[in-house]
Amino acid sequence: MIRVGVIGLGNMGRLHLANCLKMDDVDVVAVADPSKRALKRAGNLGVNRLYVDYKELLNHPRDLDAVVISVPNFLHFETIQSFLENGVNVFTEKPMAITVQQCEEIVKSARNTGRKVMVGHCMRFVDAIEKMKATLDRGCIGSLEVATIEEVVNGPFSHPAVPKPVADWWFDPEKSGGGVLMDIGYHMIDLFRFFAQEDSKVMFSSLSYKFNLPVEEGAIVLLSTVKSSIKGTINVGWYQRTVFPKYNFRVILHGNSGYLSSDELVPKNLYTHAAKEGLKNIARRLTGRKIRPLSYTYYYEAFYRELQIFFDCVKNDLEPPVSALDGLKTVQLIEEAYALFKNRGANEHGK
Amino acid sequence: MESKVGLVKAEPDGTRIKEHLASALDLIGFKPKNSVNSVVIKPNLCYYWDAATGYTTDPKVVGGLIDLLREQYGADIDIKIVEADASAMQTRYAFPVLGYTKLAAEKDVALLNLSEDAVEEREIVVNRRKLSFKVPQTLLESDLFVNVPKLKVMRVTHITCGLKNIFGAIALPKKFTYHPFLAEAIVGMNKLVHPHLTLVDGLVALGRFPVRLGLVLASEDTFSVDWVAAQIMGYKPLSIKFLKLAVREGLGDPKNVAVVGEKIETFREDFPRENNLSFRLKWRLQFALLRAYRKVSGDVVPPVLEDI
Repeated sequence: MIRVGVIGLGNMGRLHLANCLKMDDVDVVAVADPSKRALKRAGNLGVNRLYVDYKELLNHPRDLDAVVISVPNFLHFETIQSFLENGVNVFTEKPMAITVQQCEEIVKSARNTGRKVMVGHCMRFVDAIEKMKATLDRGCIGSLEVATIEEVVNGPFSHPAVPKPVADWWFDPEKSGGGVLMDIGYHMIDLFRFFAQEDSKVMFSSLSYKFNLPVEEGAIVLLSTVKSSIKGTINVGWYQRTVFPKYNFRVILHGNSGYLSSDELVPKNLYTHAAKEGLKNIARRLTGRKIRPLSYTYYYEAFYRELQIFFDCVKNDLEPPVSALDGLKTVQLIEEAYALFKNRGANEHGK
Repeated sequence: MESKVGLVKAEPDGTRIKEHLASALDLIGFKPKNSVNSVVIKPNLCYYWDAATGYTTDPKVVGGLIDLLREQYGADIDIKIVEADASAMQTRYAFPVLGYTKLAAEKDVALLNLSEDAVEEREIVVNRRKLSFKVPQTLLESDLFVNVPKLKVMRVTHITCGLKNIFGAIALPKKFTYHPFLAEAIVGMNKLVHPHLTLVDGLVALGRFPVRLGLVLASEDTFSVDWVAAQIMGYKPLSIKFLKLAVREGLGDPKNVAVVGEKIETFREDFPRENNLSFRLKWRLQFALLRAYRKVSGDVVPPVLEDI
């Protein structure tokens, strides 16, 4: 049994907590969040140890095998470091940290402490993406030449079904690390790295600030791998009003022997998919079998799967498929993209 | 007394908007009763969605209005663009995101978050229900208060236009607390706050989807505007709960509504009508099914949906 602490109970933290509670070999021994309402909810779900400050958990590090961290971006670094230094394995939401320097420190700590760090690069675990990777690896489209990867949605501006305001840290680059590029672009850049399997560099970046906020709401980045010159175009935005079940995300892999598109692999109609998967789970429940959590949502299932894989790695002493180094390399590319855009702006303005 | 509602065909992209607004005011014969030194403009900035989506008032319309007001009442009049925080929307972000910070700088006008304004606690009885509102003082004190709503449909109230935009001016951000008695709250707030003029931005209107309707509506009476707007959007006005209640509460009288300028039909034909019943049923059904599924299967529900 893996003894787990869940740190941060915002939207992502609550999802991770609910997923942990569904896993047979996981015991959620404690949760931490400044919100008393969130703690009360966790208590109602059967968690006994509820902390306002995660640091209280550090007094009993031997009670924990792993923590799942879902705090605001600017708190990732200190939270991850605190647990690593106390010998606890860490699963963290992305971005691993908001600067390359912080990420490098985390990579060092993971190495020095021998603890495992896995970053929540959940898009890798979406069924369609896994299928595309397997097809690519089998050589079905030849060598990968270009990947176009895009997600244009509403990001923090998505109107919640139960209305509540967006937290201020989203729009403070010192706290968020950036706008849409750090938020959604992070996943898209990671997917490029996942498919290309080579070190990459940024060739071009263009950011949009039409929302007149300190962070960008649109970004286009052109990547290239260093060795094979595989190109990647990343197109991300927070500017599109999106209402479920619409989800404007796709990956197209162009190889020299064919192509693959995620549009052809995701369910054509998410309502039909939800109905089918929901009925399957009800049947499983009625016949005493284990359900497949969140399979009815299609995309959210990836969050369950990534956690399950992490806990398996902890239990069996395996290397997580997404390491701290992956977190570092993704943030490196994002910093490069920001720097390239900033420098070009400076040059264009004759500075 | 006749209450004129002027309908003017305009370019949807906002070209010559000042001229169209002037035409609309001419049609209804608008003349402020007092001298105008201070103006308050209340657009509808209900969320962070651009005017092109049909949700929020186009800053070009407000810009054209500012130019027109300065021409008519002098370059030195004090103009404020105001909006209040909503349950999910924060004005401090809506102003920049929707282009109002830029507009305010260009036109040298002030922006005011009504949720940070001094308020008067007012109570009123509507439909035998006692309601209390935090009414921003700025709305009560200006020489000219212009209501600039959007023409659009809404799941809860069917339509939203002039009267609902005044409801949006309540200083309290958590307006969803009024939702269980929304019709009463809309009528109540409009009994307390009376804009001198309502100018509807129908350049892009929102029905089943956004449409470039190219319409400007104007009236001195907010109720009359909504009475006509409902018909443009394909509704019988008395099927709208808050309009029916407004009639019963004496907020307006349909007999007095007089349409001038373009005909209602001109715009109604182009408006993409929303089948509200199917929309509401689908909306409720999906959440009812989700709740039932969670109960039967014991599955996880994404947190964004767990409180529904």
